[in-house]
Amino acid sequence: MYAKEMWIQSLPLLVVCGIGAILAGNTLSAMADILEEIPGLIVIIPAVIAMRGNISTALGSRLGSAYHLGIINKDNLWNEDLKQNMKGSLLLSLIMSFLIGILAYISSLFFNVSPNPLQLICIVVIAGVLSGLILIALTVAIIYLVFKRGYDPDNVTGPALATFGDIITMLCLFGSAVFVGGIL
Amino acid sequence: MIYSWKKILKNSFPILTLAVLVEIFAGQLLQFHQEKLILFPIFLITIPVINSVGGNIGSILGARLASGLHVGHIELDIKDKNMHKNFLHSLLIGLCTYAILAILIYYLSYFRNIQMIVGFMEFVSIIVGTGLLLILLISFISITTAFWSFKKGKDPDDFVAPVVTTVGDTFGIIFFFMILGVVGL
Repeated sequence: MYAKEMWIQSLPLLVVCGIGAILAGNTLSAMADILEEIPGLIVIIPAVIAMRGNISTALGSRLGSAYHLGIINKDNLWNEDLKQNMKGSLLLSLIMSFLIGILAYISSLFFNVSPNPLQLICIVVIAGVLSGLILIALTVAIIYLVFKRGYDPDNVTGPALATFGDIITMLCLFGSAVFVGGIL
Repeated sequence: MIYSWKKILKNSFPILTLAVLVEIFAGQLLQFHQEKLILFPIFLITIPVINSVGGNIGSILGARLASGLHVGHIELDIKDKNMHKNFLHSLLIGLCTYAILAILIYYLSYFRNIQMIVGFMEFVSIIVGTGLLLILLISFISITTAFWSFKKGKDPDDFVAPVVTTVGDTFGIIFFFMILGVVGL
């Protein structure tokens, strides 16, 4: 039963999430021109996607354990524990985005690539915070739906968030790069 | 109330910083191969897929172990049968996912007239091969991290996901270019 439940709940979702990643990949391939135009842009992509995935899957995973521990459930979702989790995730997004911009700039100098530091940092911070807001809202929405359907959040939230996260983050990065590239 | 934003920041900050450092290295690997990636867009499409599935498999395994440890039906023991069962099924589910997605990417790219430089079987083998290496590494790391953090009295939920996605992203890219090198691309 244990294993069967894991296959039934995980495999279809993983494939759907993979299709999401294919869309993210297609967005990335559509960015080919701007990747060549803005030096250092390709460097921040894995870091921003990973930061986004890390922060929101950790959020989803914590909420999963909170469910198993009985702290949140479908009748008692919007409580102080949830709000603290949301606040923590958003602050982390902001701090980490700055850090990514700075590190991408400094590390590129070692490989003889000289990005515009202000441009790079602005692109990351806008993309990071914007995708953070969207993803946190989405996390709570997914947790709510998962509770309603009676699934185990551990089998669902991680992959669902990682993938919606990938597409949303790629789109935010694309938009932010076009926007910032246009003015800076 | 057991959660506080300060505790979440404090628990997550060091590991996320470490993750970002490693991911910047992964980004530099991409910058190093940028020309090849832009010349053959099918590779650019494939990279998020390899990383995403690897990270997801590791996160599901980690989240299940974390809940199992919290609730008590998984023991902190390297011989725990429930842990073994979770690992084996993660591996099989992961390989199936990679195979299905490789087929999808290939046909999607075929219909989009994206330049193909490999045959169907070769492409699927490259992805499943990269996936096998990646899942073995990621599962090992997922189990180690979950057990280690739980033993230290920390919440595995704060640690497993960042560690597995970071390792997954970096080694996904490394294994992918490694296998491309082996088949002469």
